[in-house]
Amino acid sequence: MTTADPRGENRPDLQIKIGGPAGFGIKAAGQTLARSFVHAGLNTFDLTEYPSLIKGGHNAYQVRVSPEPEVLCHVMPVDILVALDHETAERHVSELVEGGALIYDPDKTDVEGLIDPEHVCAVPVPLDTIVKEAGGVAIMRNVAALGAVAGLAKFPLHYLTDSLEAQFAKKAPEIAEKNVAVATKGYEFGSKTECAFPFRLSPVEDAPPRLLVDGNEAIGSGALAAGIGVYCAYPMTPASSLLSFMAARDREHGVVVKHTEDEIAAMNMVVGAAFGGARAMCATSGGGFSLMVEAFGLAGVSESAVVVGLLTRAGPATGLPTWTEQSDLRFALHAAQGEFPRVVVAPGDRTQAFELTWKAFNLADQLQTPVVILGDTYLSDNRASIPVWDLEAVTVERGKLVTEGDMVEHPDTLGEDGLYLRYKVTDDGVSVRALPGVTGACQVVNSYEHDEYGYGAQGEVAATRIAQHEKRMRKLDLASSLVPPPVEWGSEDPDVSVLCFGTTVQPLRQAMAWLARDGAKVRAMQVVTLWPFPADAVSAFIGGAKKTMVIEGNYAGQLEGLIREVCLLGVDHRLHRYDGRPFSPEQVHESLKEVL
Amino acid sequence: MPTVKDFETPNKPTWCPGCGNFNMFQALRQAYELTSQDFEHLAVVWGIGCHGNGADFTRCQGFHALHGRALPAATGLALSNPELTVVVEMGDGDGYGIGLGHFVHSCRRNIDMTVVAHDNQIYGLTTGQASPTTEHMMKTVSTPTGVLEEPVNTIGLAIAEGATFVARGFAGDVPHMTALFQQAIEHKGFAVVDVFQPCVTWNKLNTFAWFRERVYKVEEESGYDPTDRAGAMALSLTTFHDMACTPEQCKLPIGVLYREEGRPTYQDGLPQLDEPLWKRALAPRDLTEMVRGFM
Repeated sequence: MTTADPRGENRPDLQIKIGGPAGFGIKAAGQTLARSFVHAGLNTFDLTEYPSLIKGGHNAYQVRVSPEPEVLCHVMPVDILVALDHETAERHVSELVEGGALIYDPDKTDVEGLIDPEHVCAVPVPLDTIVKEAGGVAIMRNVAALGAVAGLAKFPLHYLTDSLEAQFAKKAPEIAEKNVAVATKGYEFGSKTECAFPFRLSPVEDAPPRLLVDGNEAIGSGALAAGIGVYCAYPMTPASSLLSFMAARDREHGVVVKHTEDEIAAMNMVVGAAFGGARAMCATSGGGFSLMVEAFGLAGVSESAVVVGLLTRAGPATGLPTWTEQSDLRFALHAAQGEFPRVVVAPGDRTQAFELTWKAFNLADQLQTPVVILGDTYLSDNRASIPVWDLEAVTVERGKLVTEGDMVEHPDTLGEDGLYLRYKVTDDGVSVRALPGVTGACQVVNSYEHDEYGYGAQGEVAATRIAQHEKRMRKLDLASSLVPPPVEWGSEDPDVSVLCFGTTVQPLRQAMAWLARDGAKVRAMQVVTLWPFPADAVSAFIGGAKKTMVIEGNYAGQLEGLIREVCLLGVDHRLHRYDGRPFSPEQVHESLKEVL
Repeated sequence: MPTVKDFETPNKPTWCPGCGNFNMFQALRQAYELTSQDFEHLAVVWGIGCHGNGADFTRCQGFHALHGRALPAATGLALSNPELTVVVEMGDGDGYGIGLGHFVHSCRRNIDMTVVAHDNQIYGLTTGQASPTTEHMMKTVSTPTGVLEEPVNTIGLAIAEGATFVARGFAGDVPHMTALFQQAIEHKGFAVVDVFQPCVTWNKLNTFAWFRERVYKVEEESGYDPTDRAGAMALSLTTFHDMACTPEQCKLPIGVLYREEGRPTYQDGLPQLDEPLWKRALAPRDLTEMVRGFM
């Protein structure tokens, strides 16, 4: 039995965990349940844990649901555990809260000795029998279990059956019908349970519309909103679903989506597509980015406007393919030989993932240099209900770009000989980029150091090298004025000041909400743009603090080291995690309490 | 329309005197004139190697890519703008060594572009190491006791993997090369022209004189049918030989070895590539309907 549950006694939320063998459609079933909650005006946050295999092995999906306006992240305690097999019951029953419920198939699982009926509500639901009687197939056991969950929590059944009908109506109405029958039967078993299950899930009237999306859907949508023309990728967890997302929408939105032979090709194609003028992006995880690195540098020296999604997992090498980690921060900052300007932004949640992605395309164009969106498995894989994106706020800023016409109309881009200077040295480091097709815009986009025309031969002249290198590096100053600033929240008079980046913001927000409820004073900063590093803002944040702490999902303290390097400031406390799991809010909560 | 001279830049070619690249450069410019290319839409992508210095000498939309990565860069460019004529120049080490994977997949795609391989059977720019097309047992600085591998069958590979125009040229015959380049550029689909391009500095075996004694034009052979894929593949196998082969023993075919018209190109499968894709980013895409699907 889990002891201290920081959610407190009168918590409005409920966490449901569904476990079973891989290949049983557990995630899909869970997402159906989540959608029905969101349609009822509730909010959700889900977390999927799965091994790197397709069949067999153990999968678990959990969804936290609440009538409150926002669910900040997952929690550890489970209020309802759905065990589709005996292993799930054995493995996860200890996560159940006092008074929680175990839904299980009495034909598959013997709970005798596994639970204490004084503390846990046992809800037997004959899943196999229900499915058989409805004439369904084995995978519908999930749906019967979902029905039981709804019945147990007195959640109106029609939200679930509406979700099922919407999901299957187009594909096969008869399958929708069977699913509804199975869910209804499961609902009966759940609602007639004899033990007193105290939790209720009631619909919220007049709730604002919400989006139910994972991080990859948010990034893909941001790219589409930005007017992406070419997306190239090679499948790699957790970035693969972004490739599928884009591919499913390519013709409808006029995007060329290429599943390439490898990540080397993906990154080089994206640089080629950027030369052609398309807004171009690739995405991968750390292993794929390792292969992209040389061409990432090519984007830097050739001043190509490209966006790279680096969605990290636990490394090195193949590492933990389906688990999360924040250990590629330094890799993103230093990838590729030589020096060139880059921008690295790290969204903390799905709202930021959408916004930072469309903004990344603007930054890439304005700076003519690569921009990295640094995410992780925790962001990519898991859905949450969020406010509807502000589509009106999206802008397309292409910077110094000539798409049509004749370069004689742009005399300041021409040399004394009247020829176009692709890499003209400018004050802000950015030259006017003319696309192929523009009259008088002959050029060489070059991986070699080059002169203002782009010719490599003159690149070896020392003065040329200095002029071009300094021109490129000057773009970092411009970048500093364009990139999103850090986000700060919490107490105005904090006892502890915490820094983080990326998705750690989610459990940190939850932990801080609990602490604020209990009167503790904590302030936090999410470093949104990791490069160019917001040295002044971070220094000011640390400078006035009583105690400081960095929380990050790696062993070495990569953000802390960066702060020390750029701000010449140390921090007092740190919390690291590198077991492949995201920080839990309980862990962050405990750790902050110790520091306070 | 620009003529041969117009495709030159103020930069003077820096290849070794007598290098096969000069003739290839000349033949390519002639082909550009013959196929009515203009500076704005002729996009040439180079890999890294001696051939790549051509990026400084050719007036066009140039892209001097990474070593071995000209093909994917050119593919991205072609997939971003259907109005461009895309030509790739690559070396043998560049395109058949470090970049071989891209070559195979580009053939499979039948993407509409032209690839000209400067095949001098040696690494020139890095001073004379063995390349993937160096003769078996030839001694080089990286293989002082001889190359233990067989050379890549570039022609057979291109045919096997789906290229729809496969030709071989000889840098000692500019008019013949010019005709091959012209046909390759005009071909709709993935066109490969592998050119025997003697390296006068590092390859003392496969010289102009060596090739002159061995090459013959397939189009002058009565009965050669370049549309016969199996026949073309069989012919590609005859070009293997050992270093000591006499002119009588090894005859090296040049000309159009294989061509297939009418096979859909990669671009044919992309109805969304109906205009330059920079036009997709004139304003934010309207996602109202898509976003409704997330609700």
